[in-house]
Amino acid sequence: MGVNMTDAMYVQLLDLACGAFLLTGVLVLWRRELSAIVWLFALQGVALTALIVVLGSWQADLELILVGAGVGALRAGLLPYLMRRALVAGGEGRETQPLVNVATSLVVAAVLAMLAYALSQPLVRLSPTPATQAVPVALTVLLIGFFVLVTRRRALSQLVGFLLMDNAITATAFLTTSGVPLVVELGISLDLLLAVLVLQVLTTRMRAAFGGTDLDELRELHD
Amino acid sequence: MNLVGTLFVVALSGCAVAAVAAVLAPPRARLRLAGWCTAGAGAVGAAAGVAAVMADGMTSGVSAGAGQRWSAWLPELLPLAGVRLAIDPLGGVFIAVTGVVAVCAAIYGIGYCSHGLDGRAFQLVLPLFVAAMLVVPAAASVSTFLLAWELMAISSLLLVLAEHRRRAAVGRAGLWYAVMTHFGLVTILIGLVAFAAGAGGESFEQLRAAALSPAAKTVVFLATLAGFASKAGIVPLHVWLPRAHPEAPSHVSALMSAAMVNMGAYGIIRIGLDLLGGGPAWWWLLVLGLGAASALFGILQAVVASDLKRLLGYSTTENLGLVLVGVGAAGFFAASRLPVPAALALAAALLHVVNHAAFKTVLFLAAGSVLHATGTRDLDALGGLRTRLPYTTAAFAVGALCASALPPGNAFVSEWLLLQSLIHALPGSGVAGAVTMPLAVAVIALSAGLAVATFVKAFGVGFLARPRSAPAERARESPPAMLGAMALAVAGCAALALAPTLVVPALGRAVGVVFPGREVVSGELTLRLTGVAGMISPLLIAVTLVAAASIVLGLVRVSATRRARRAARLWDCGAGPISARMEYTATSFAEPLERVFDDVLAPESDVDVTPMKESAYLVERVRFHARVPDRIEHRLYDPLIAAVSAVGRGARALATGSVHRYLGYGFWALTAALIVLVVTW
Repeated sequence: MGVNMTDAMYVQLLDLACGAFLLTGVLVLWRRELSAIVWLFALQGVALTALIVVLGSWQADLELILVGAGVGALRAGLLPYLMRRALVAGGEGRETQPLVNVATSLVVAAVLAMLAYALSQPLVRLSPTPATQAVPVALTVLLIGFFVLVTRRRALSQLVGFLLMDNAITATAFLTTSGVPLVVELGISLDLLLAVLVLQVLTTRMRAAFGGTDLDELRELHD
Repeated sequence: MNLVGTLFVVALSGCAVAAVAAVLAPPRARLRLAGWCTAGAGAVGAAAGVAAVMADGMTSGVSAGAGQRWSAWLPELLPLAGVRLAIDPLGGVFIAVTGVVAVCAAIYGIGYCSHGLDGRAFQLVLPLFVAAMLVVPAAASVSTFLLAWELMAISSLLLVLAEHRRRAAVGRAGLWYAVMTHFGLVTILIGLVAFAAGAGGESFEQLRAAALSPAAKTVVFLATLAGFASKAGIVPLHVWLPRAHPEAPSHVSALMSAAMVNMGAYGIIRIGLDLLGGGPAWWWLLVLGLGAASALFGILQAVVASDLKRLLGYSTTENLGLVLVGVGAAGFFAASRLPVPAALALAAALLHVVNHAAFKTVLFLAAGSVLHATGTRDLDALGGLRTRLPYTTAAFAVGALCASALPPGNAFVSEWLLLQSLIHALPGSGVAGAVTMPLAVAVIALSAGLAVATFVKAFGVGFLARPRSAPAERARESPPAMLGAMALAVAGCAALALAPTLVVPALGRAVGVVFPGREVVSGELTLRLTGVAGMISPLLIAVTLVAAASIVLGLVRVSATRRARRAARLWDCGAGPISARMEYTATSFAEPLERVFDDVLAPESDVDVTPMKESAYLVERVRFHARVPDRIEHRLYDPLIAAVSAVGRGARALATGSVHRYLGYGFWALTAALIVLVVTW
């Protein structure tokens, strides 16, 4: 266990993990191949795992490290695997024209980052530790995830948007508290797995029924 | 735990047992088991209420008896807030009233529910409703109060909806009731939560000790007043009442009208007079004004109503209006530093609550018996029930006499007390009092006069003369359980009418919770007002009336027996034998009053002439419709509902079916909220 980690090293490792976390989130907006998006999501899962493990080693909390390992197995392993399977089965390689083009999306991401930074200042002031100072990163990813959810047409990229939001919520929880109880994290993870499984079934059904997964073709369902 | 607490817990347990019995018992035994358990719980609850009033009286009036009051703090029962209960004499009065009404309604239900209402759900909800109504006056913290209040609202809503499969009107009535009761809950919630936030605690003791700014107090008072007024059926929030009362099963109507609406008055007394400690005079003039408007509007609508239970529903609005006149007057006198009339007015209001509960139980149970026997509530289709339903007729007669505020009825006593307090306050209550009090007296007098007309109509048209329809002709008297319950309620009315001296001193103790001081009235046979000159002896009045009536009857008999009797046909203008169609109907009886109050009631009539095909001068059919719509509903609620549905239709344009658009709404709303937060924080 890295109990004898120095302060400087802890801060650097934490910032590295957070940087990777943010970068993968922003890159999701940039890439349009669905397979690349799934890859980026898996990388973000790794970054999140690293983040939790760094926090766990700094607090010398074995339970936290174990939770981190579990989170990693789910978000960097199982979920990307399920999504890739859906991707292979569907054979749709690219996100078609998104509702907002890539350049504008990146500008919006910058604006959202600023908003998240301004928003988290009161939180940071409450206890200015290195961990809480990284909260803006998690909030940025949250907003970006929501933005992906709103602007992308394919069911799979929307699913990634949803999972980005959830990653960000998990990251915020670990950054602001000194460890989320195992039971809570377990519950969230199970929920998430269920959501992904349901959406996977939905995607398959949509493809069987309509031949594609463009959600805007579902307009006829309204009242 | 002292006597009050033990009895109260036993009563609540009785309700729980009744609920369990309703679920588990086999269908044949279900009605009896659940009914008798609920009745027992009601009786024990009433005993708890009476004990709470009496326990306090050991130390005579002044609140020194507080040490004996029962209170309980159960932190484990509810997360975060816990349950806090306390029964003082004021709450005790309302608990006792609820308990007694519950006894009558539960016994009545055993007979009434045997056709179609003996399902598990209905029998389960009824004891829960009774339990909720017992807890509301015992609640001693905001969270407990709101929880009991909501349980009361939800359970009563379910009971109102019991017959929704049989009549479409039940669903509409339920919708109105649900909306109004939840509007009330929301405003009470806002008021009490604001109060608790300002006081820094949510128990009633902390609220009582809180020092809020006058503006904050006004907000709390007005918010809670709106909620309590909607529960009490006060104009303009009464619209649910004349719909829900007719459509609910009759014993539920009795419970709602005689016990539940009282909680509105209780809330105003508890929050306004007790917890907020009075307040400026205009609060109470507002309450008085609302009460006076309700009394007049309610009785005017009742006098023209031809649906028996709708008539009784409007009469509830009238009577709760009178109660609020008393409460408003009490608050106003307290604000004008007139403690004696204040205590008297509040005692009169509480007495009217008790009296109204008694006679309204009788009337609704009797109306239910009529409905049970004939299947209709339409007075124009009834008549001739005197020979067919003799016991029901007798019960309704007693109820009608009591409700019309004539001696020897019980409402006469409370209205007399109320008038005494208003009249005796005149010298000291300043300009506002000098203007308001005579007006209030006039309102009470007018409403009493119209009440006489209303109940003469209901009794005369509904029960006397000849039956106007085949179902009325075939009517059969109700089963013994229903008759027994009615007899019990009639006995209550009679006791209150003849011996109010047993009740009023106890109510004086309840008044002592709010206005500590001396006894309001004294005397065993005669009510003597202390502090002001005035006395009344209902028993002597009754004895005199009976004596006078028997002397007159005896004289008539003596003088009449001289002549030989001869049977002959009535003179019928030569138009053939008199038929039921020539009788007065409820509509025709009320027609002169409808003309007199034409400007207020704005009745609608519609003549529809269909000529024959061959000639415009030959008429095939003439149709005449006349109805008296609820004008407040027409003017206030119809535009509101139209506006809301227009907004709803307009909002459909937002929902195009695009998932992205829906997600976009969420995203932009969240971002906008965050931006506002960042900019303003």
